[in-house]
Formats: sequence, structure tokens, C-alpha cells
Amino acid sequence: MRPLLRIMALSSRQAPWLALGLVVTLLGTLAGLALAGAAGAVFTDASLLAIPLLLRLLGPARVVLRYFERLTTHNALFRALADLRIWFFHSLAQRMAGGLGMQRSGDVLARLVGDVEAQDVLYMRVLLPLVGALVILPILLIVLCRFDVWLAVIVTALFVTAAFVLPGIAAHQARAHGAVLSRSMADLRVAVLDSVAGLREVRAFAAEGRMLANVQAQEAGLLAAQRHAMRMIARAGSAAFLCGQAAILATLVIGRAHGVAAIVMVFTVLAGFEAIALLPRAGAQAGLATAAATRVLDVADGPVPSPDPKIIAAMPSGHDLRLEMVSFTWETGRPDVFNSLSLDIPAGHRVALLGPSGIGKSSLAALILRLAIPQSGRILLGGIDIATVAAADLRARIGWLSQSTHLFDDTIRANLLLAKPDATDGQLWAALEQARIAEAVRALTGGLDFYLGEGGHQFSGGQGRRLALARALLSPARILILDEPCAGLDAETERAFLTTLNDVADTRSIILIAHRLTGVERLDRIFRLSHGRAVAAAA
Amino acid sequence: MTSAPSSAADKRGQIWLAEQSVAGRRAARRLIAMGVGNTILAASQAGCMAVLLAGILRDETQTVSPLFPALGFAAFALARAAAGMATEGLTFRIGATVRRRLRSDALGRLLAHGPALLRERHSVAMSAIVVDRIESLDGYFARWIPAAAVAVLSPLLMTLVVLALDPLAALVLAACGALVPVAMALSGIGAGRAASRQFTAMSRLQTRFLDRMRGIATIVMYGRIEDETRALGMAANELRMRTMRVLRVAFLSSGALDLAAAAALVILAIRAGTQYAAGGLSTPVSTLFVLLLVPEFFAPLRNFSAAYQDRFQARDAARDLANLPEQPVPLPLLTVRHVQAQGLTVVFDHVGLTWDATRGPVLSDISFRVAPGETLVVAGPSGAGKSSLIEILLGFVRPTEGRVTLNGADIADLVPQALSRLTAWIGQRPVLFAGTLRENIRFARPEATDAEVAEAAQFARVTSFAAGLPQGLDTRLGEAGYGLSGGQAQRVAIARAVLKNAPLLLLDEPTAHLDPATENEVLDSLRRLTLGRTVILVSHSTAAHAWNASWGGRRIDLRDGQIVRARGEA
Repeated sequence: MRPLLRIMALSSRQAPWLALGLVVTLLGTLAGLALAGAAGAVFTDASLLAIPLLLRLLGPARVVLRYFERLTTHNALFRALADLRIWFFHSLAQRMAGGLGMQRSGDVLARLVGDVEAQDVLYMRVLLPLVGALVILPILLIVLCRFDVWLAVIVTALFVTAAFVLPGIAAHQARAHGAVLSRSMADLRVAVLDSVAGLREVRAFAAEGRMLANVQAQEAGLLAAQRHAMRMIARAGSAAFLCGQAAILATLVIGRAHGVAAIVMVFTVLAGFEAIALLPRAGAQAGLATAAATRVLDVADGPVPSPDPKIIAAMPSGHDLRLEMVSFTWETGRPDVFNSLSLDIPAGHRVALLGPSGIGKSSLAALILRLAIPQSGRILLGGIDIATVAAADLRARIGWLSQSTHLFDDTIRANLLLAKPDATDGQLWAALEQARIAEAVRALTGGLDFYLGEGGHQFSGGQGRRLALARALLSPARILILDEPCAGLDAETERAFLTTLNDVADTRSIILIAHRLTGVERLDRIFRLSHGRAVAAAA
Repeated sequence: MTSAPSSAADKRGQIWLAEQSVAGRRAARRLIAMGVGNTILAASQAGCMAVLLAGILRDETQTVSPLFPALGFAAFALARAAAGMATEGLTFRIGATVRRRLRSDALGRLLAHGPALLRERHSVAMSAIVVDRIESLDGYFARWIPAAAVAVLSPLLMTLVVLALDPLAALVLAACGALVPVAMALSGIGAGRAASRQFTAMSRLQTRFLDRMRGIATIVMYGRIEDETRALGMAANELRMRTMRVLRVAFLSSGALDLAAAAALVILAIRAGTQYAAGGLSTPVSTLFVLLLVPEFFAPLRNFSAAYQDRFQARDAARDLANLPEQPVPLPLLTVRHVQAQGLTVVFDHVGLTWDATRGPVLSDISFRVAPGETLVVAGPSGAGKSSLIEILLGFVRPTEGRVTLNGADIADLVPQALSRLTAWIGQRPVLFAGTLRENIRFARPEATDAEVAEAAQFARVTSFAAGLPQGLDTRLGEAGYGLSGGQAQRVAIARAVLKNAPLLLLDEPTAHLDPATENEVLDSLRRLTLGRTVILVSHSTAAHAWNASWGGRRIDLRDGQIVRARGEA
């Protein structure tokens, strides 16, 4: 349960709103209890006039309170969920290094987003009824004790079982299953994505039947896991129902001895159990959500991999880049990516770093951007060790453009302003001209205000890459790291893009990371990465 | 996925959902019957309670034994618990059956339509439809459809029963019950439109959050973490305020339900109290029965209103599903031709291909002949139509003009399985599936023996890099083949081609994305693979020189979909 408590604690900023929702809910619960009691009390002849009046008041009060309960609890829930999302986004952004985001696929992130949203069961379905149960419990005890202590004991024991014990058991049982459930969902997703992304292979090898059968098999696994979860939830619900029914039966049988008061008791017990009827189910759901909560916390609570130093040095004015005897591995125990790597890139130089995929070219970019820290050696920018400056200042100096550079589901203008929030339209167009994409943007309806779809979808691969280049050029960065900027483009588009690059970079340094050169690049030096070191090759 | 849906697409979605609902109602019949049955059990239980309580009112607690009504109450309680479990089981089964059918249908349509789909849709978006959209339809069939029926039948049934016992009480129940749909309709007319817009806005916020998460690396690089965090907060806040404005109206319908239930209870309780005070109840059992029935009367209506959101979700899913490509009409089996699989001759006879009439032909008037065992290099810049040529031979697309024959049989007459037996293909980037390296190779021919797979792996030099992996050929590959470099993936593709052992080998720039050292290794394996096979290789102009230099053979140059030059003997 600890992950869930931690998730709930994150909403403490919204405590007043959550509390308001809670208070209104409690008032509504009490009104419901009183209404049921009063309805039963119509047969107690002592209070002939008072009871109908009470009913006339409590009926509307209950309705109004329920209405406000829905409003206040939804309002509080939306606030808490928004906080949770923002917290998650922020924590993740802080911990971007260590590969997350650079290496993890968007789909993993998408799944995490789903995990965050799954936490919405906590407040409305778990917390509110639990507190409600805590308030109802003493009321039941007091009302019943006035007539019969034994009845009070039996009913409260059943109430405690239904409101606290059963939800606890259900949550405990469901916890382990939450992981099974999400794994089988992930398996289905992978099977479907394989079939669809591999449509060409599937057709070429006439594998349609096999792929469909595989998806059906994974689906059967998911359905079995879901059925198991459903049974768990249904069992918890039935057990709670039977507790309530046993309490009513006990009240009916034992309460008879107390005459018409029994009717009041029966109606009160009915209402009391109705208020908590869904708690055991909610317990099971919360148990299932624990697995998701754990995943969320694992990602968002990890250590910040390259925190800023306590005393932050001023940024240097120059932008010579120098790597001195840098050794690096992503994980201890895994082979070194770099072993005493030294590299010198004077300001304004254009260099290429070549090597087959997997040799660590992207790791080098991560090191220079301080997304990862070398185990030994140092990296100097303008003569100052980058470990001593603020990461944000460093990244403002160094632009990074790769295949995974993201175009946001927003206007072209908003996408460009990311690099320089105070840029004028003139500067935006200048950057677009430099990246040779201005003409295409002008042709769009709305120009700069044209809305890019998901992942910049309306743009072709080459155009999207040019837009990302324009954004990089707009930034004040003095060093541009182009990390396989043409991956995923066809050969022709690649050459056109690289030709554009030859003319753009005024006094900036350019580091082009690639597995091969096409011959159109204009470069000062070429290095080849092998065995963890950079070897100079002919320019 | 949720961007600006066209109204035609929406319309198709609505029609689709209406069609599905007919079948859905038929499937839900048992569930509806169980819902009504549950109401009968609950009413019977209320009857037992009424008998017990009436005894108290009549001061008969000492004379009449409570045994039978108490036993009845307990028995009905157990029956309700059992029925509840059974209902949930059936609900799940109905939802599962529908999802299974729709998912196989949707994926079947995508598979049948084939690779051409990847030109217009993103694979992630398509698989989201097959996975998530279909999951979200569960509630519509398993909850909404039965709840809508039970919400009419159960209150009606109860009203009839009460009518026989206490006509005036029946009138009160009926009046309050009728208030619910009226109030729902009234607040629904205002809220329905706004709520559906809101639903769209809500999913847009989710999309926005997802989008920012996908691009989080870019945001960090530009030092915009704080700005974006703030912007996300503001967007969420604004949406919350708008949502609350809508909910204020939408909750009126739930409020109307509460009001109706409370009104019925208060009216009936006061009436009973007045009668009781005025000299006792003439029929205490039925009076109490009616009073206890009030919550059960409104329970199906509550279920109905709780299932309402399932309808909204279903609409979006319906739009996506209705707009998937249709299942193509299968070829009549009579036209299937048998093709001699030894020594294959490929002939293009005035072939033309047009994807989109407004953009002109991709290929026009292409004619050539490749003899068995011969290699043909097709060169040209990107966009010249090289890949389309390969796609015709793979059966991904059909030529719009002319014909292509394999050993004299028109390619249009071959079923995909027959064509697949004749061709092996290595593209620019092979897709590797989740599974082991061995399974990925065996994908080419599932019935192959372990020895054959090992032989293919050896030939393509998969074995040499597999030796460095933790479990050799049985190493699992991560998502979309994560963990293998481009060159290694290409060697797996070669191993697949070897295992398949087809007479026609189609190569589409197989080394375009490899570094020079890897390229040479892959070329070497490819060269050995071409021996004794008919080969068609496409490549862009500069690389084609290298191919020709090392492989010889004939070459044709394509430009703008036409043959501009043919070299070598015809």
C-alpha cells in the first residue's frame, strides 16, 4: 500500500479542495443515514409531527448535498490528477539522463502515462468511502447500543469486516495480479504492433494467419488475466454484500424484541451498509493500481543522475570543446563505451564522428550534454570543466538534433519558440530560410500558425528534420551536435539535408555523428570511433 | 488520432455502432434476463423483510415465529449473491466475446489490406485501434446495452407488482420513475453536446500530456522544463474549469435521479406514517414492502446512468473501427495457377502503376525480362519508382496497366500464399519481431527443422554475432528488435531468405543504412545467396555503380517511373 500512500501524499497541495470534497461527502452520507432512520421512524408514534418534518427537510438536503458532493469531489480529483501529471512530468524531466527519454521508446512513456492516470481510483473510490465508514461506524454503534448491546457488537463486527477487512484482503490479493495484468496487456500490444509494423514482412512471408493466431493467443492470455481480476473483484463485492445482509438479518431477528424501534434500526443498518457497499471492490482496484503506482514511482523517484554542483561556476565565453582521457560505461560491469577517449574540437570547427551503430556515438552526445557522467576524465568547454557549471546553462550552449528530436503537436511557431521564447517573426523566418524550409512553410495555410499533427505527421520525414534544424539554428547554442540527423530518411533526402547543413553554421561548431559519410559534407576533421577511442581520419 | 474527425467518418461510426448494437442486444439477452431476475430476488427479499417488520407493527413478535421469513430472507440473500457473481461472469464473457470478435476482424482487415496501409497510416496509431479502442468498447456491449434494457424492464415490473398491492403507491413510484428520464433528457439536451465536446477536450489534454512526454528529451535540451511544466498546469487548470462548468449541468441529471428516489421515499414514508398514526395500517405488509422496494426500484436507473460514459467512449472507438479498410474480396480459387518453382523467368509487359490520379503515374510502360539465374540491377534516384517495382513483385500492390508474369503465369492470378512461395525479399530495414533470434529466422518457414535454421544462420553469419549474445540464437530481442544493429538485423533478413529458399530474390537497397565495413560483409553473404536464383536488385544511382562493378549483370535506369536506359544483353 505504501506506493499508493505516496501517490496520495503528492496531492497535499490540494488538501483544502480534497478536504472540502470530503466534508461535503460526509454530510451527504450523514443525511442519507438520517433520512433512512427517519423513514423508519414514521412508525414510532411518539414523534408524529417531527418525523414528517424531518423527512421533508432531509430528503431535499440529501439531494442537494449529493449534487455538491459530485461537484466538489470531481473538482478536487481533477486538481489532484493534474498535480500528479505535472509532478510526474517534472520529475521525469529532471531525471532525463541515464538514457530515459533518449533511449526509451515513446510507447514505454505512453504506458507510464496510463499508469499515472490509473491512480484516479484512490480519492473517490477508496479514500472518501473509507473516511465515510469511519464516521458511520460510531453512529451505528451508538444507535444500536441504545437497544441491544449484542446486536451492536454483531452489526459493527460485520461492518468492520465489510468496510476495512475485506477491502484490505482484496487489495493484498490484487497487488500481485496487477503486474500480471499489465504484463499481459503489454504482450498483446507488442504482438499487435509486430503484425502491423511488420505488414511488409508478413505479406512477403505469407504469415497473415500466423500473426493473427499469435495476437489471438496473447489476447487469450489477457482475457484470462482480466477474468481472474474480475473474479477477485466480484468475490470481494459479494462478500461485502453478504456481510450487509447478515447484519440486516441479525437486526431483524434480534431487534424484534424492541418493537417499532427495530424498524428504525433496520433502515439505519441498510443505509450504513449501502454507503460502503463498493469499498471491497475499490480495495481490489486499488490493489491492481499499486503495480502501476510502483512503476510510476520507480521512474520518477530515482536519483537525479547529474545534479548541479553546489557552487556553480560562471559559463566560459569561448566554446572550444575538449575531452580529456574520458572513460565511460552506462552500467558498472558492462563493457566500457569509452576508454581514455581524448578529442579536441576548436570553436567553429566542423567535425564528423564515424563508427558503426552500437559503438557509443550517442553516448558521446549524452556526455557532452551532461546527461551522463564519465567515470573518469573530464570534459572542458571553453577551458572550464562542464561538471562545474549549471546543466541548464550548458545545454543552452549546446544544441542537439537527432532522429528522436520531437516535433510537438502544436503550431510551427510554438515549436520554434521552444528554442528561443523571445524570438521575433523575422528571426523565425530567418532560421526557416537557413534550414531551407521557409518556402514549404509559406505554402501552408496559416504559415507559422500552421498546426502540426501528432509527431509532426503532416510533414514528410525530410521536412520535419529541416524544421527541427531551424529550431536548433534559432537557439543561442554555439555547438550543434547532430546525432544521426538523417536516420530514417532515404538516401536522396539525406544528401539534400546534409548539403543544406554546409551553409548554415556561421561561427558555430558542428559535431556530426554518423555511421557513414555521403560525400557531400564539408568538414574540417573526421574521427573514427573504435575500441572506445577516437582515431583521426583524413579530412 | 483524435485530430479533427470529419463528419463523414463520424457518420460511418454511428452507422457501424447502430449495426453492432443489434447484434449486441441479441448477445445481451441472457444478461438482461438476469438483471430482471435479480430485481425479482431483491423484491422477494423485501417481501420477507416486510413480513418480519409487519409482525412487529402488529405486536405479534411473541406469537408468530420469525423463522420462515428469516430463512426466506437468508435464502434470497444467498441467491442474490450467487446471481451477482453469475451476472459479473456473464458480463465479462459477453464483453470478452465481442472484443475477441472485433479484434480479430480489425486485425484481419489490416492484414488483408496489407503493406499499402503503411503508406497512409502510422503503425502505432493502427495498433492503438486494435488494442485500446477495442478494449474501450467492452463497457458499451457488456454494460451499457444491458443496463439500458434493465432500466426499463425492472422498474416496469416492480410498478406492476405494486399496482396489484397498492395502486396509489404504484402511481407515486411510476411518477417519480418517469421523472428520471424526463429530467435526464432535459439536462441531457443541454449537457449532451457540451459533454461530448468536453470528452474531446479531455482526450486532447491527454494527447497533449502524452505528446510532451514523448518529446521530453527535446524539452530538456532546450532548457524549457519549467516553462512546459507551467504550461501543462495552466492547460489542465483551464480544462478543469471548463469541465466543471459542463458537469454542473450534467450532474443535474444524477441529481434528478436522487431527487426522484428521495421524493418517492419521503412521500411513501409520510403516507405510511400518517395512516399508522390514524389507527394502524390496513395492510402493513404491503405498505412496508413498498417502502423497502424504493431503493431497488431506482437501482437499475442508477446502473443505467453509471454506464452512460461507456457510450461516449464507444462513439470514438466506433469511428476508428468503421473507417478501417474493408476486407477485400478473396480471389476465386479457380484462377489459381500452378507455377513451376525451378528456374523462374520474370516478365514485365508494359506495366504502369498509379497510386493517385492527381499525382500522375509512379511507373509507366515498363517492360523487361529476367531469365532464370540472371541478375537485373534497377538504378535510379529516389522517387523514380524502384520500390514500387519491387512491391508489385511482392504483391503489395497491383499494376494498374499491363501485366507481370512469373514463368508465364500472370501475377494477378496468384493467391498471396502462392506468390510468397516464389519470392524472397530483403528490404532497407527488416522488421524483427518480439521473440528469440531463432524464432525470427524461423519466421520465414515455420516448419523448418532446427538444423535448417542453424544452417541458414551459419550462411548469413548470424551465428558469428549470436555467439557474443547471452543465449546465442535463443536470445530474446526486445521491443521491435531492440538490441541488434542495422547490419545484424540485415543478416537476420538474409538468414530468413536462405531458409525460405525461393527461386526469385528481390533486393531493395539492402545496404543503404549500413556503415562501409558492415556493408561489405553483408554484400558478401548476399552474393553467395544469389547463386542459381533470379535476382532483381534496386539501388540509387551512385550505389548501383558499385553493384554493377562487383556483380556484373544487366542494368536498367529508371527516372520518373520510366526506363531511360537499359544496358547489357536483353
